[in-house]
Amino acid sequence: MSLELLNTLEVILNGLMTGVMYSLVALGFVLIFKASGVFNYAQGVMCLFAALTLVGFQTGQIPFAHLINVIFGTEYHHWSSDITGGMNSFLAIVLTVIVMIGFAYIVERFLLRHLVNQAPIILFMATIGLAFFMEGFGDLMWGANIKPLDLGIPSGGSFWWEEVTRTWATADSKYIGMYIDVLDVWAAVIAVLLVIVLTLFSQFTKTGRALRAVADDHQAALTVGISLRTIWVIVWSIAGIVALVAGIMWGSKSGVQFSLSLIALKALPVLILGGFTSIPGAIVGGLIIGVGEKLFEFWIGPMVGGATENWFAYVLALFFLMFRPQGLYGEKIIERV
Amino acid sequence: MGHQPNINDMLLEVKNISLSFGGVKVLSDISFDIKRNEIRAIIGPNGAGKSSMLNIINGFYHPQQGEIWFNGHKRVSEKPFKIARQGIARTFQNIALFKGMSTLDNLMTGRITKMNTNIFWQALWKGPAEREEIQHRERVEQIIDFLKIQSIRKTPVGRLPYGMQKRVELGRALAAEAKLLLLDEPMAGMNLEEKQDMCRFILDVNDEFDTTIALIEHDMGVVMDLSDRVVVLDYGRKLADGTPDEVRNNQTVIDAYLGVVHD
Amino acid sequence: MFYRESGDFKATYNKDQQIFTIALDRWFVILFVAFAFLVVPFLINDYWEKSVLVPVLVWSIAALGLNILVGYCGQLSLGTGGFMAVGAYASYKLTTAFPELNMFIVVLLSGGITAFVGILFGLPSLRIKGFYLAVATLASQFFLVWLFNKVPWFYNYSASGMIIAPERFVFGIAITGPNAPPWATYLFCLTIVVVFALIAKNLTRGRIGRSWMAIRDMDIAAEIIGVSPLYAKLSAFAVSSFYIGVAGALFFSVYLGAAEPTEAFGIDKSFLVLFMIIIGGLGTIFGSFIGAAFMTLMPVLFKNIMVGGLGWPTDLVAHLILILIGGLIMFFLIVEPHGLAQLWRIAKEKLRLWPFPH
Repeated sequence: MSLELLNTLEVILNGLMTGVMYSLVALGFVLIFKASGVFNYAQGVMCLFAALTLVGFQTGQIPFAHLINVIFGTEYHHWSSDITGGMNSFLAIVLTVIVMIGFAYIVERFLLRHLVNQAPIILFMATIGLAFFMEGFGDLMWGANIKPLDLGIPSGGSFWWEEVTRTWATADSKYIGMYIDVLDVWAAVIAVLLVIVLTLFSQFTKTGRALRAVADDHQAALTVGISLRTIWVIVWSIAGIVALVAGIMWGSKSGVQFSLSLIALKALPVLILGGFTSIPGAIVGGLIIGVGEKLFEFWIGPMVGGATENWFAYVLALFFLMFRPQGLYGEKIIERV
Repeated sequence: MGHQPNINDMLLEVKNISLSFGGVKVLSDISFDIKRNEIRAIIGPNGAGKSSMLNIINGFYHPQQGEIWFNGHKRVSEKPFKIARQGIARTFQNIALFKGMSTLDNLMTGRITKMNTNIFWQALWKGPAEREEIQHRERVEQIIDFLKIQSIRKTPVGRLPYGMQKRVELGRALAAEAKLLLLDEPMAGMNLEEKQDMCRFILDVNDEFDTTIALIEHDMGVVMDLSDRVVVLDYGRKLADGTPDEVRNNQTVIDAYLGVVHD
Repeated sequence: MFYRESGDFKATYNKDQQIFTIALDRWFVILFVAFAFLVVPFLINDYWEKSVLVPVLVWSIAALGLNILVGYCGQLSLGTGGFMAVGAYASYKLTTAFPELNMFIVVLLSGGITAFVGILFGLPSLRIKGFYLAVATLASQFFLVWLFNKVPWFYNYSASGMIIAPERFVFGIAITGPNAPPWATYLFCLTIVVVFALIAKNLTRGRIGRSWMAIRDMDIAAEIIGVSPLYAKLSAFAVSSFYIGVAGALFFSVYLGAAEPTEAFGIDKSFLVLFMIIIGGLGTIFGSFIGAAFMTLMPVLFKNIMVGGLGWPTDLVAHLILILIGGLIMFFLIVEPHGLAQLWRIAKEKLRLWPFPH
């Protein structure tokens, strides 16, 4: 294979891996949108919040330490004197899941319940408010500094893959092999597992059936005795757990920091491509955006000064919308009067 | 009975219309006409395609086949707002008022087809824009008086009761001073008194403003009393067409309404 | 008792259509504007100009613009920051290319250029609605900021990539640059704000305003009764972008003096203006002003109290402000979607009847 082709392949491969990450965030969006019609802008901040909480537990931080110290003039930071040893990772994950479920309950109780029957656009703006609130709250609770997240997931380039790909090039070229981060591969594996679990859950459990019923028709679901509020709490909890998974993957890759919440913005064009209600759509959309922006940057980027990843996804979504407003997998909208 | 229509003067002719969504056939080969100044009723069971017919007449749906002649001209496929400008106004089955606006503003919006000062004069307000506003306001106030809705002039329509909203919606359609007025179930969900009021308004509109009216209605008493001619639709086909008496005695119509097994 | 409308009869439609139908309101606003024009310039100092008055005025114009698009026409946009950047760069290019040009004309031309760009990015609104459109406007936000970063022509090939406002004049008085006196920049902004608020009011109470609101409330019905969606939406985008462009030009040349696109016109600005109109009141002119004032002054106030008064660290206060803003947004959307303007209106209604509410 020629060097050009190999480089392109590498770009595509890395694009796919980034795409998986986008898909993970988009997945949370789709779940909530299907069940409650809410376009949850706060999904990205939920990732950040979940990751912050996980790191907090893991390293044994005291919540709101900063605030407490300022008010009472104390100097607390961690509840064990040993900074590295906070808590067993598994326990920390379990606790974070509980926090996310509690969060889902609070959102339902204090926000969603009061916004029933409001226009979608109002709900969307409310979740923007929620995003700001959570961002401030997460920072206040755990501090705003960048934190490394280490759950023992292997990371770094794969030597095996480098070796394999090196043999693909012609012998005389000085090709050093393709780079792929093992962490990304793990993320892809986990994403696939997550989708399988979610599909099984929605197909074969009673709660899953109720979820699908609500997604299909709120009113009808109510009349057969499904509690909408319970469903919302469950869905937001699941979305919270998906956010945790996404947060772990992104956090392990680039540290837990504010920019995590901006990934939510990238997930929006993913959803436009995939349609708001389709789980496969979220996955495919994520992959298309991931590969698309990497390839565009690889081919066109150098000609126009680079950093095209900032806008490529949105412009792609924009063009896509002009031709297929309902997304790849969405149903065609028939307007009625 | 409304105005005595002039027999040879057709305002609207619908010829061989067929409409389908994907594989679902909504209307097949429908033809009928509406004369000037008459009240024309379209009746039929739910799902017969009545509202779709109105949607075709005001250009919201585009039929796959057939042609429409309005006011002596054959229509080429056009956007709804252009057709509104040619002189077709309507009300909707489920009230479609502008909920954030007052009654007055809703009616003024009904006159939008007749207003045309440009954006720069409007920004200035003084001068042409103000004059135009007042001139149209006078016309709208006449309609407000006619419909007896003076007391709710500045109330946001979202706060009005259902019957009043229906009346405001009629007002908005009247404000357009259209040649043809389409009323989609103007009396749905009303009590007897409100229905009587609405009937009075419809007859008066037909009489005083010389407006041609096409209406969809389920209340047979109302239809038979109000309309000059009736067209009956069922499953997207035309069953009958004629005066209320003819339709009442038509065997296929009786079968359709009393329920004979479809072969 | 003191605030009343009884006895204030309208004998003509003209009188009934004026902006402030209640005489007391009218007098209050006239007095307030007179005070702002005639008294404030003599009292103003650097601190009040830079931290309070000029930012409130500039953001008011931006909020007015976005409110026309979102509050009146119902088209959600997250591209405000990008459009402000267009206005800012347009004013930069104009002031550097034509040094003799009066600043008023520069600002108006910048608005015009932004309106043109706004129409371009508003085109998708003809096919897409709601948050689909919101995502589409993100394209304009990120693309425009990227463009101003990457194309050296826009920043006149300066080494730092920053744009710096040169000293420019109105009738011989410096309006931009470090030597501009506070009263001059203040009066310059105030004049523009008053004129554009009046224009916004005129537009929204007439035919065009009604066609915007019709599209907002029920777009299909609007089209069927004769509103052209193309004209209504694109005119809303044009007018809105014009205002936002003017705000961007003022923000850069009068307020900041120097700017770097990612920093000054990022997505956070888009959200900031959106929050202003949500808190102030969607679909009200008055709300744009209180929203802008609230969102500009609230952080200043908090910082003064907590950092200055209590001695808390700034990052902590910043987090608290985020929580407060987010909480307020949710609160207003739940309790009062019409924002502070509606609360004010209700208070006035109560006052009208006071002290005999029954």
